[in-house]
Amino acid sequence: MSAYTVYADQLPGLLARWNGKYAVYAPKDIGEGIYDFRPWRQGDEIAWDYDLAYNSLKRFLIPPKEPLISYDLSRCTAEPIFEAPAQLLFGVHPYDLRAITQLDQLMESGAPDNYYLRRREQTMIMALEPLRVAEGSFWGSVGAERVDVGFDLYWTKLGPSSFLVEVGTQRGEELLLDGGDLAQATPGEREAARRAKGRILSKARKGMAFDWREIPKLLGKAWDSPLWEQRSELCLACGSCNMVCPTCYCFDIREEVDDSLQGGVRYRVWDSCMLHSFAAVAGNHNFRRKALERYRHRTYRKGKYIFDRLGELGCVGCGRCVRACTAGIANPLRTFNDLWEAARNEG
Amino acid sequence: MKAKLFSAYVPQPATLVATERLSDFVTLFRFVRDDGRHLAHKPGQFIVLSAYGVGEAPFSISSAPSRDTTEFELAVRKIGTMTTAMHNLRVGDKVGIRGPYGSFFPVQDFVGKDTLFVAGGLGYIPLRSLLHYQLKHRQEFGRIIVLVGCRNPQERIFIDQIEELSRRGDVEIQETVDCPDQDWKGNVGVITTLLPKVAIDPDVTNVAMVGPPVMYRFVLAECVKMGIDPGRIYVSLERKMKCGLGKCGHCQINHLNACVDGPVFRYTDIAALPEAI
Repeated sequence: MSAYTVYADQLPGLLARWNGKYAVYAPKDIGEGIYDFRPWRQGDEIAWDYDLAYNSLKRFLIPPKEPLISYDLSRCTAEPIFEAPAQLLFGVHPYDLRAITQLDQLMESGAPDNYYLRRREQTMIMALEPLRVAEGSFWGSVGAERVDVGFDLYWTKLGPSSFLVEVGTQRGEELLLDGGDLAQATPGEREAARRAKGRILSKARKGMAFDWREIPKLLGKAWDSPLWEQRSELCLACGSCNMVCPTCYCFDIREEVDDSLQGGVRYRVWDSCMLHSFAAVAGNHNFRRKALERYRHRTYRKGKYIFDRLGELGCVGCGRCVRACTAGIANPLRTFNDLWEAARNEG
Repeated sequence: MKAKLFSAYVPQPATLVATERLSDFVTLFRFVRDDGRHLAHKPGQFIVLSAYGVGEAPFSISSAPSRDTTEFELAVRKIGTMTTAMHNLRVGDKVGIRGPYGSFFPVQDFVGKDTLFVAGGLGYIPLRSLLHYQLKHRQEFGRIIVLVGCRNPQERIFIDQIEELSRRGDVEIQETVDCPDQDWKGNVGVITTLLPKVAIDPDVTNVAMVGPPVMYRFVLAECVKMGIDPGRIYVSLERKMKCGLGKCGHCQINHLNACVDGPVFRYTDIAALPEAI
């Protein structure tokens, strides 16, 4: 993999150049210890040491509300709506990128989701090695600390004034060299980047009492655990854990007729398996009526169903749900550890 | 990944050509696709129907696949906004359809065998697709035994057709209701009470079963007790479906999506899934 050295004073020029072709988003300090991806404007400070973006990045690929078709009421015909702006996400942490590559696979398999795939195609991703680990994050202990695919460029801050930039795709390299030639990274710089990754990993590997690869097996035996009832008793069924999760992508389909009553738009909106109505059907039957059933389903989806399909967990350990859950029960790390402890005690 | 600008969410236009009242709440709708093509469905599959301005909902196809007609039938209970909108349609009105979607009863596996149909309430609607296919190709199939259960006589559907079937001589039909009225002369009780009344040969019998969620556990246990191999029991499971494409997550049964892995499942494929039955 080729790599270049980029100096801090070269960056504003590059960003400005990219901003002409793409809507550029970068992490920004939005106050009180909160960071989020925001549109980058000339002169904006990038939060190089951000620990976690408040909202997950799935919103750039599956917007909270996304039109699917428009229709004509009088003729009963419909046309697809594909909105996919060219965008560049600068500063994506590996665990968030892992979530995106997971969505890539799930959206491409079976009936390909062309809405997602079209947006993804129009999205440049520049990954960034984290410098800090957010409280509640545990990505280093669920195998989400490393990504080999999915990024166009991978940035590692080597010091106050320089970066090592690894090339992931040809279009990434072209973009990087758009402003003129750059120096190839030296072996010493590559070594410095490797050490930087090691430093952050030692802080990110925390909390998990056992090897994450054991989680699917653990869940295989935990269907009737009393933990589901105990924990879900507190669940407010608000769906916040799903909304902030970077790998949740369930959606509802709704529609609106326009003011003229001649036509309308059918769109999808984020939905949540924690909401009471999620599995309800006509005739007043609900396939997951109880909070424990919904809480358990969410955990199994993160810890087993996705793993059985892709070989990796559906939880990337970002910890957004830990922060979003007002009842304090969403933390997957705590759930997995408690199940592990209970299984050990049962012998 | 190269995304084509094809949307699976664009429905195809279809026109309502006839309706028939089946009960106080259930109507049979007969549609044709506007492009004149066959629906090309298989028994047990469903479509997602659009009433523009109201929404979309999945419906089992009730008619048998046929090359003789481009018409297809849905039997729909008026129970919510979508189904009420459908009941307001007039012949000649247009709707949108997506599909057919989902798995189906593997007709070849039924050839040469006896079939025990177990229909609870509206479960008769998707089963009718397989039943009528078998009747069209009657000589390829063995005994056809149909058990139909309803909550009460007012909820019976396809009454005339069922009576016609019972007069054919080559279909064995038994009906029951949970709550009889004064006029009801037939069997009373849940559908499992009909099972001892049909002397089936478990070694040559396939089961096709559709009904309300509560029905499956009891009937499946009975069928297994009767000696029928769970690998020859087929069930169609209802779940909430939105996209029909295995993406939106609503119809998940453990790790499976009812819309693409189902709705028709072999019992052996779901017996170990705690969310299935």
